[in-house]
Amino acid sequence: MKMEDMSLSGLDNTKLEALAQDIYSDLVEDACLGLCFEVHRAVKQGYFFLDDTDQESMKDFEIVDQPGVDIFGQVYNQWKNKECVCPNCNRSIAASRFAPHLEKCLGMGRNSSRIANRRIASSNNMNNKSESDQEDNDDVNDNDWSYGSEKKAKKRKSDKNPNSPRRSKSVKHKNALLGSKPCCRSGSSMHAVER
Amino acid sequence: MSKDSQMRAAINQKLIEMGERDRLKELLRAKLVECGWKDQLKAHCKDVIREKGLEHITVEDLVAEITPKGRALVPDSVKKELLQRIKTFLAQHSTL
Repeated sequence: MKMEDMSLSGLDNTKLEALAQDIYSDLVEDACLGLCFEVHRAVKQGYFFLDDTDQESMKDFEIVDQPGVDIFGQVYNQWKNKECVCPNCNRSIAASRFAPHLEKCLGMGRNSSRIANRRIASSNNMNNKSESDQEDNDDVNDNDWSYGSEKKAKKRKSDKNPNSPRRSKSVKHKNALLGSKPCCRSGSSMHAVER
Repeated sequence: MSKDSQMRAAINQKLIEMGERDRLKELLRAKLVECGWKDQLKAHCKDVIREKGLEHITVEDLVAEITPKGRALVPDSVKKELLQRIKTFLAQHSTL
C-alpha cells in the first residue's frame, strides 16, 4: 500500500475513541441486520411461528420431578420384574432374559446354531468310535469351528468356550475354519480376518 | 480524502485483512445470544410481525423496527468488552 507513513499515535484519544465506537457501531449493525434477515427468511419460509405452543400443551409436557419416576413421568424400571411367556416353549421367562432365551429357543441367532452344532458333534462323538470322520468334516466345514479342534480345545485349560469366535486364532478361509492349529493365539490375525 | 479518513480506511482494511473483524463479529454474535439479546429482539419481531401482518412484512420494516431497539438493548458488559478488544487492536497496529 503506497501511502505516507501514517501512525495512530498521532491521533489523540478522542479520535481513537471515536474510531473504536464507529467500528463497534458497524459490528452491532451487522448483528442486527443478520437477525433481520434471519427472521424475514423464517417468516417467508413459514417456520417463524412454528415453535409457539399454547399454554395448555405446554402444561402437558412439563418436566416431571418426582422420585421414582423419570422426567417424562414414566416409571423406568417397570419391566424389571415382569415375566413374559415364551410363545415357543410356553415357559415364563424374566423380561431381561427374554431376548436371549428366544434366540436359543427359536434356533435363530448366532449362538444357538453353535450350541446346536456342538450338541450334534458331541453326540456324534459318543456314537462314533473313529476319531475324526472325514465325511463329517464336510458338514462341519460350514461352521465357525472345526470338529478336530474342538477336542483339542477342550483339553486346553485356557479355553473357556470352545464355540466363541475368539477361541482359536487360526487362519480362516473366507467363511469357514478349516483344520485349525491349536497353538495360534495371535489375536490380531483373528480379528483382522473377522472384520 | 482527508488524512483522517484515509487512515480510517486503512485501519478498516487492516481489520478485515487480518481476520480480526470476522472474529469480532463472531464474538459479538456469541455474546448477544448468551445474554439473551437475540431472544428479546426475536420476541419484539413477533410483535411487529403480528402487527404488520405475516404476509406483508418486508425486510425494510424489520430493519426499521429492529435496528434502533437492537442497538439500545446491547448490554453494557458486552459493549465494553468489544470496545476494549477494538482498542487493543488499534493500539497493536498503530503503525501502518
